[in-house]
Amino acid sequence: MNPANEIHKKLTEGEFREEAAMLFDNGNPLMLMFCVDEREIGGGFTVYAVFSLKGEDLFMVLSFPVTEKSGRFAYKSITPLVPAAHWYEREIRDMFGIEPLGHPDPRPLVLHGMYPDNLHPLRRDVTVEQIRSRIDLEREDNYNFVKVEGEGVCEIPVGPVHAGIIEPGHFRFSAVGESIYFLDPRLFYTHKGVEKHFERIGFERGAALAERVSGCSSFAHSTAYCLAVERMAGVEIPEKAKAIRTLLLELERIYNHIGDIGNMCAGTGFAVGYQSGALIKEKLMRLNASLTGSRYLRGVNALGGVSRDVLEKADEILFTLDEVTTEYKDFMELLTGSVSHMERLDGAGVLSMDIARKLGATGIAARGSGINQDMRTVHKHLMYDSVVFEAHSRGKGDVLARMMVRADEAECSFSIIESILKEPYPGPLAAGIKGFPALSSALGYVEGPRGSVFYFVKTNDKGEPLRVKVRSASFCNWPLMPFAVRGNIIPDFPLVNKSFNLSYSGSDM
Amino acid sequence: MRGGRVESLQFLLIIFFSPLLQGFIKKIKALSQGRVGPGILQPYYDLIRLFKKDMVISETASWIFHAAPFVTFVSVLAASVITPVFSLQGGIFKAGDIIAIIYTLALGRFFMALAGLDAGTGFGGEGSSREATLAIIVEPVLIMAIFTAAIAGGSTSLSILSRSANIFRSPAHVLAFAAFYVALIAETGRVPVDNPDTHLELTMIHEGMVLEYSGPYLALMEWAHFMKQMLLFTIALDLFFPFGMQGGSTALGLAPAPGIYLIKVFIMGVAVALTESTRAKMRFFQLPSLLGGAFVLALLSVITLIMLGG
Repeated sequence: MNPANEIHKKLTEGEFREEAAMLFDNGNPLMLMFCVDEREIGGGFTVYAVFSLKGEDLFMVLSFPVTEKSGRFAYKSITPLVPAAHWYEREIRDMFGIEPLGHPDPRPLVLHGMYPDNLHPLRRDVTVEQIRSRIDLEREDNYNFVKVEGEGVCEIPVGPVHAGIIEPGHFRFSAVGESIYFLDPRLFYTHKGVEKHFERIGFERGAALAERVSGCSSFAHSTAYCLAVERMAGVEIPEKAKAIRTLLLELERIYNHIGDIGNMCAGTGFAVGYQSGALIKEKLMRLNASLTGSRYLRGVNALGGVSRDVLEKADEILFTLDEVTTEYKDFMELLTGSVSHMERLDGAGVLSMDIARKLGATGIAARGSGINQDMRTVHKHLMYDSVVFEAHSRGKGDVLARMMVRADEAECSFSIIESILKEPYPGPLAAGIKGFPALSSALGYVEGPRGSVFYFVKTNDKGEPLRVKVRSASFCNWPLMPFAVRGNIIPDFPLVNKSFNLSYSGSDM
Repeated sequence: MRGGRVESLQFLLIIFFSPLLQGFIKKIKALSQGRVGPGILQPYYDLIRLFKKDMVISETASWIFHAAPFVTFVSVLAASVITPVFSLQGGIFKAGDIIAIIYTLALGRFFMALAGLDAGTGFGGEGSSREATLAIIVEPVLIMAIFTAAIAGGSTSLSILSRSANIFRSPAHVLAFAAFYVALIAETGRVPVDNPDTHLELTMIHEGMVLEYSGPYLALMEWAHFMKQMLLFTIALDLFFPFGMQGGSTALGLAPAPGIYLIKVFIMGVAVALTESTRAKMRFFQLPSLLGGAFVLALLSVITLIMLGG
């Protein structure tokens, strides 16, 4: 049985294409797309696509079985019709060996040169040992970067190793003078095999793994994972757990948003702003540590609810937030009052609404470009149906718009937390889960600091995990970067990059 | 002790105190940003550490890469030797023509830009290209500002200029100093022109050019940069605030001069640190408007001077 807000449609390949294209054309965003190896439960490879129905709390889950033709798995790519599917289809090709025929980008996405050919890690019959034994670190990586030719075009390779403490990613700029003509990013240098690992460790230990997918979205990931498993098991979590999860999600959002706004100052070289942002972020992270024992809010989420009663420390939360709110106001005044800083943000890194919609932007990236899409308002979960707040968006799509969306949302989060703390929540912290139903599936989702986070879980005939699909916000937003930086100058790239604040770890699943 | 001999050694002050000035500016910046910051002796420790280290040198590097640190260091050193620091005595200052000083520095810059290209990395090339672009706009500003003082003083020799100049003796000097200050910010690679503290390679100018250097070569480059900063401060002081400089040759008259000089330099350090902390870096293509503005100021100062009749 599926959760109430998921409509599942089993289709044929042709119907799937038509239905997906129609849904997408009517403005229903593609939330995620993935493949499940269902051979052990009497099926084949099944491709799923999840659309969020516009204005309704409903997900349309389309699926079709991929047919085998002379030992090869292939289907007709939907990317030409649904551009947002482009990375998902490349990912499915790498991980399952299913060819999306007619996909405009034939290059591998996830797997690099050292990885053996014809070994598709997410197929159920491929073992981790097999992968380990066949990886060849010496093998050359023949990735075809997009080449721009012409007079005065200069290619500038950046990374994968960067200055500062960030994760690896390679950026190939084609520049004319200082202007960026084209950017071809390459990621997935530190692919962790999280999805495979989820299948091996069982649902119970999954929460701890989910919160390690991406550091500063730890709580968003663990919540989305827990919600998925709970929805699949048909467990309703207690009010208290809902309140605590909502509270911590908002705390995670605030520290990220303020930290990100501060980080943009590093992009413009505005040292005072950068330090002020870092100072406020630090206070919030210390609050996190005091509440949960972890600066990244780890170890609280568990299947069925939460393991710590954070609400006992309501006074401390209110006290810190009170202090931070004042500092935050001064901080924003400092930034908006600094002409030299604002001048840099205005008009830099414009992401058009059209591109954002076509490529399936989520979170800050989408809302900065005028797409007012927020899981908290569209698909109300946890306490978001009872707290009053507004989803914010700005239309210009530049760095400034993304900063202001963050600023508006951070303020909103302050009031959400306050209204949560006003109510008493008697009752237990967690509901018990009695086993996981066989052959069931569910989606779990939250609006994390960067955008929507999705988990899809499905069990086999013994109630064990058959597939855990993770879709972080960064996976959707990375492909936007080349469009946002086009025509900007090279020294502005770090600033534009910071305004999206994408996670490498969040996509190197 | 005869006066002249001691004074010819005053450039030693620039060599040995320039890392201290750098440390001081960093400290002021840290404090104004609400940080504790490293101790003001940190640049010395950094230089010592770098001198002890091995070097990693790009395979594509030619002799230019090896020569550049020495040329850069020596050019700054040579310019320092002929600049009056706190005393106007000493025969060597007859060579201290301001235009000679500025273009001796340009030699170092030229080699540094070549070295940035030489190592064959994208960041070095970017840094060099930006440095060259900037140099084209900064140099006229610097020269124009200097001309104001030169016309007023009737000479291009720094020692004569310093002897004749009083603080802001005409409105033209105020304008010229403002222009000189902007050029100084650009020349020392500071915000809003360049950001000396950034780790973002794509935004670097000066740091981009020296990115491929390590160990003793890097130490020379850094030290030369510190010295150049102090030297430019000194030239600014010589031209616009020469009070307290020792004019006579008696040992007694000499005594307070170095102290006054260091106080003046460090006050300027505070000004630079505060300028840097309170604003964001400008978008690269907007720099011409800042530097162009400075050029207009410098031009105005020359015109003012001529109209007011010196």
